[in-house]
Amino acid sequence: MKLELGYVFIKDIQFAEVSKVENGTLYVSKEEVRKIILEDQNFISAEVELAKPGESIRIMPVKDVIEPRVKVDGPGGIFPGMVNKVETVGSGKTNVLKGAAVVTTGKIVGFQEGIIDMTGTGSEYTPFSKLNNLVLVCEPKEGLKQHEHEKALRFAGYKVALYLGELARSLTPDETETFETLSVTEGIKAYPELPRVAYVLMLQSQGLMHDTYVYGVDAKQSLTTMLYPTEIMDGAIVSGNCVSACDKNTTYHHLNNPVVHDLFAEHGKTLNFVGVIITNENVYLADKERSSNWSAKLAEFLGLDGVLISQEGFGNPDTDLIMNCKKIETKGIKTVIITDEYAGRDGSSQSLADADASADAVVTGGNANQVIELPALDKVIGYSKVADIIAGGFDGSLHADGSITAELQVITGATNEMGFNKLSAR
Amino acid sequence: MHMCTVVPISLTVGANRIVPTIAIPHPLGNPTLTLEEERDIRRNLVGRALRALETEVTGQTVFEK
Repeated sequence: MKLELGYVFIKDIQFAEVSKVENGTLYVSKEEVRKIILEDQNFISAEVELAKPGESIRIMPVKDVIEPRVKVDGPGGIFPGMVNKVETVGSGKTNVLKGAAVVTTGKIVGFQEGIIDMTGTGSEYTPFSKLNNLVLVCEPKEGLKQHEHEKALRFAGYKVALYLGELARSLTPDETETFETLSVTEGIKAYPELPRVAYVLMLQSQGLMHDTYVYGVDAKQSLTTMLYPTEIMDGAIVSGNCVSACDKNTTYHHLNNPVVHDLFAEHGKTLNFVGVIITNENVYLADKERSSNWSAKLAEFLGLDGVLISQEGFGNPDTDLIMNCKKIETKGIKTVIITDEYAGRDGSSQSLADADASADAVVTGGNANQVIELPALDKVIGYSKVADIIAGGFDGSLHADGSITAELQVITGATNEMGFNKLSAR
Repeated sequence: MHMCTVVPISLTVGANRIVPTIAIPHPLGNPTLTLEEERDIRRNLVGRALRALETEVTGQTVFEK
């Protein structure tokens, strides 16, 4: 399966009468976007705002971040099984508005959405401060249940992202990149000497709005299965998560999964990137055992030499992570796990809730309990009052002047467990 | 003594007596069942936990029954 991504670089975003992309600027018709959101009668009003890199703007509470893409050649459309028909995606050509994003906000759960600061300390911890963001502030109708609100906002985000992506359909990309995955037998013939490596991508699926969808299927209702890596780039996996902001994978993270991109960069050189095994993180012990059994079984079946495993979330998913690691290692396959830490504010506590001696190669996204100070910013898009109750915040987090003292976990994407971030420590 | 869903974590942190429960969001119940059925589950689990406390153990023990 072969996919060409065409990047149309976006350096600025502005409101205009007519939506279009011209000379690296994304022009957006506020009215058109509001009309798309209000097609859903669950929303009574919708505001559309801009947030650009360096501006004194805080966005909170953030639900999801989505990159605008459009399928220009090949079967299916972006977000198959969600917005577009259930066609197998991941081949042909896809254009991307690189440098732009749609950000959805709303008080769905209140304590399980995050913060994006476009300047100051907070902006250094989130990758989304570097993007030209179109922020959707959608007001739900009275009495709308939380899970209905979540779903409505999720779809508003997809629809607006697809609307913007459509603007890139007939544009000539500034840059293109091609990704190809061979069949198992072709791969063995092409790279007989190279180690066979796959990626075990763990998807948050605890339920109660901690959910991820694959081709429209709720991941908690699925057995562990396989995808071509390029299917992910066309939106086969989307986030429906209202969970701690720092280490949930937004839809943007899935579309731009850095483990997939890095494995492709080494594919055919130092390793043979065989494919992606997707598995879930359910709340029943039997599910955890079954799903990790299947990860190990598929890894063995594919004749792998090595596996990278990325986690999503923390706490009981630490057990899924360790089960995957332990069971795959037992098959004689080497693993590296990517996680983050809840090691207490001073960093001296145990980092994960579970452990095993076979987890001897670990990459961390950072300590989510670390306390940070966020300065007051000129403008807040959304609702600042949730700072006191957001996961990582505490009574008194929000100060009278608008500044915030909180744990790093309040920042969207701060300790991402796909290794999306650039911050490091010595 | 732990009553918990994720037995491996209880084993990792060193609990002596472990009684496995239903699910992380509802360890002693099951919202898909009737109240009567839930009460049976709860009574059974609490009974098992009390028996576990009365049982001498020499190492980490999971009380499956």
